[in-house]
Amino acid sequence: MEEVYVEDFMSPGCVGCPAVKAMLEELSIEFEDKLIVEEVDITVDTTRATQYGIMSVPALAINGILKFVGVPSKEELKKAILEEIEG
Amino acid sequence: MDGKKEKRIGVFICHCGKNIAGGVNIEDLVESSRQIQGVVYVIDNKFSCSEDGQVAIQKAIQNQKLDRVVIAACDPALHLMTFQRCGKKAGIEPGFVDLIDIRKWTMHGSPHRVDSEQAFEKSKKLIELAVKRISLKRLIPLVEVKVEQSVLVIGGGVAGLEAGLDLADKGYRVHIIERLPTIGGKMALLYKVFPTNDCAPCILAPKTAYANIHPNINLLTNSEVNSVEGYIGNFDIKVIKKPRYIDAKRCTGCGDCIEKCPSKVTDNVYSAGMGQRKAIYIPYDLAIPKKAVIDAENCLYFKRDACRLCEKECPTDAIDFEQQTRTIELKVGAIIVATGFDEYNPTEKSEYGYGRYDNVITQFQLARLLDIDGPTKGKLLRPTDGREPKSIVMIQCVGSRDKNANDYCSNICCMYALKHAQMIREMVLPDIEIYICYIDMRTTGKGFEEYYRKTRELGINFIRGRPSEIIEETNTKNLILKVEDPDIGRLLKIETDLIVLACATIPSSGTRQLSQILHIKLDENGFFKEVHPKLRPVETNVRGIYICGAAQGPKDIPDSIVQARAVASFSDSELRKAKIKLPGYIVKARKLNQGGS
Repeated sequence: MEEVYVEDFMSPGCVGCPAVKAMLEELSIEFEDKLIVEEVDITVDTTRATQYGIMSVPALAINGILKFVGVPSKEELKKAILEEIEG
Repeated sequence: MDGKKEKRIGVFICHCGKNIAGGVNIEDLVESSRQIQGVVYVIDNKFSCSEDGQVAIQKAIQNQKLDRVVIAACDPALHLMTFQRCGKKAGIEPGFVDLIDIRKWTMHGSPHRVDSEQAFEKSKKLIELAVKRISLKRLIPLVEVKVEQSVLVIGGGVAGLEAGLDLADKGYRVHIIERLPTIGGKMALLYKVFPTNDCAPCILAPKTAYANIHPNINLLTNSEVNSVEGYIGNFDIKVIKKPRYIDAKRCTGCGDCIEKCPSKVTDNVYSAGMGQRKAIYIPYDLAIPKKAVIDAENCLYFKRDACRLCEKECPTDAIDFEQQTRTIELKVGAIIVATGFDEYNPTEKSEYGYGRYDNVITQFQLARLLDIDGPTKGKLLRPTDGREPKSIVMIQCVGSRDKNANDYCSNICCMYALKHAQMIREMVLPDIEIYICYIDMRTTGKGFEEYYRKTRELGINFIRGRPSEIIEETNTKNLILKVEDPDIGRLLKIETDLIVLACATIPSSGTRQLSQILHIKLDENGFFKEVHPKLRPVETNVRGIYICGAAQGPKDIPDSIVQARAVASFSDSELRKAKIKLPGYIVKARKLNQGGS
C-alpha cells in the first residue's frame, strides 16, 4: 500500500474550496495515515500553483499530478486516491 | 510506478549569507532533516545558488546516487528553474528537484519574519512536507503541442505598440486590441514628453502609422477581450468589436460629417473634459485609424430616430447605422497585456476642491490645454472665464503616497509637473508666477535631475509642503490656499488663478475584470502582478502571458519601452520553438475546468 500526497489548492474567497476540504477531511479518516493532505493557499504561496499551470481553484494535485480543477464528486476523488494507494 | 522504488533524497539547506543563517540555527535544521524518512544526505551551503553551491549539489547527486532533491532556500519564483537546471545536469528530472522558501521567516524586511525558534519549527515542518511530497511525486507526462505563430497585444498605447511592432517585424502575426476608437494611448495626448521635451505625437506618430500599415499587424480598435481559454502556444480568444457605425473601408477621414453634426458633448476622453466634440467625431488629427466614429449615446438618430445629417453629408456613403457588435475569434501563441493606467479621480480628496471649484484641474487636463491640437489650441485659459492665468499652483502627490488613497509613489508626477512648468514659462506665458507644492521631488531617471535643476533656474517657486485646504473667492473665482514653507519657516497664503493637481497613476479601468479573464494576478495596488519584482518583472503566473508598461505599475515612457521590448523577447523565445512540451493536464485542464472561483 502506497501513501498518497494531495496538494489542495485553495483561496479564502473561493466558493468551491470548502466542499473539497470537507471531502478530503472525510477521506483522511477513511484512509488514515495513507493520505497526506497539504492545503496550499494560492494567495500566500503564489508560486506553487504556477508550477502546475493552475488558473483557478479549487484544484487538486495527487502525487505531483494535477487531477482536478473545480469541485470533483467524492466518488471521483476517492477513486483517484485509491488508484494511487493501490499502485 | 515511481512510488514503489525506495527513494534516495538529498536535502540542501542554504544559508543565503546571513539572510537565513542569521535567523535560524542551520545546524539544528541539518540534524532534524537527517531524521526524515527517505533522506540519505543533508548538507548546508553558504549560497546554494552560486556556482560553487550548484557544483556541490551536482556532486552530491552523483556521489550519493540521489534521485530526488529538496533545496531549502528562497522563493521558488526566484530560483526553482536554476536548481532544476542544476539537477538536470547531474541526471535528475527537473520535476524531482523542489525548492522551498524558508528565507521568508528569517530575512530582514520580510513581512513573514519570525523569531529563531518559530523559524526553526516552520522550516523543519516545511522540509518534512517537501520530502514527503517529492518522495511520492510521479513524473508528469508531457504532451507535445504546436505553438501558434501569433500574438495578442491588449492595449494600443506606446508599450503595446512597441511590443507589437517588434514581434511583427520578427515575422509573427500580431493582433493589437484597443478599446478606444484610436491607438496611441495616453502618450498621444501628452503634447510634450520629458526629459527631451519632444513633441509626443512627433515620436509616437511614426509608430502608430507603421502599425496601421504593417502587413503582420491586425489592428482591432473599439474592441475588448471577452474570453480567453487555453494555454501557452494555444490561446483561444474571443474579442467583442463594438460598432463604429462607419464603414472604415469607405471613410476617408475628411470630416464633412463632423461639421454638419448638430450634437455637441463634452469630450471626457481625448480632451479630458476640457473641450467638446460632436456625436460623430475623429478623436484627433493624428488619430490612427483616421476614421470617424459615432457615439451612439449622444447621436440624435439613436436617441430620437432623427437627424441623419452625417449620412446625407458623407461623400463616400460610409455611414452605417446598422452596424452591430461582432465577436471575433482569434488563436494566438502568447498574450501581451499593455493596458496602461488611468488618472486618479481627485474628487475623493475634497480638501482640494476638484469638481467643486472649476479652476482646479488635473495635470492631464493641463496637458490637453497646452496641446496645440487640444481643446484650446494650446492657449492656457482658465475654465471659469477663459482668461489667461497670472499665477498657477501645482500640488503634487494627490492620491499618491497617501495612506488614505494610494500608498505608492506614482513615479511620473514630479517629472510631468516640471515639464508643464517649463513649457508654460518658456512657450506659453513667460511672465506667469508658478508654484510647485511638493513632498519630495523624485527625479531619478537619466537626465531627470538636470531637468529639475533647469526648471528651478527658470524661476519656478518650489514649496516643500502641501496645502491643507483651498478656498474659492466667490467673485473672482480665484483660489486661496495656505501652505507651510519649512525652507523659510513661514505659513504662506497664496491667491492664485489656477490650481493643477498631480494625481496618482492608478490601474486602468477594467484591469480587475481582465485579470479574471486571463487568470493572472493583481498586486496589492491593483496593477498586474509580475512573477518576481526584480528578476522576472514582465512574466505572470500564467506561462505565455506577459505584462508591460504602466499596466504592471506606474512608470514613464522609457521604462515602458524597455518592458515592451522585454515581453516581445519573451514571446519570441517561446513562439520560435514552434512546438513545446507541456504537462498533459495543462492541455486537458480546459475540459476539466468547472465551478470554483
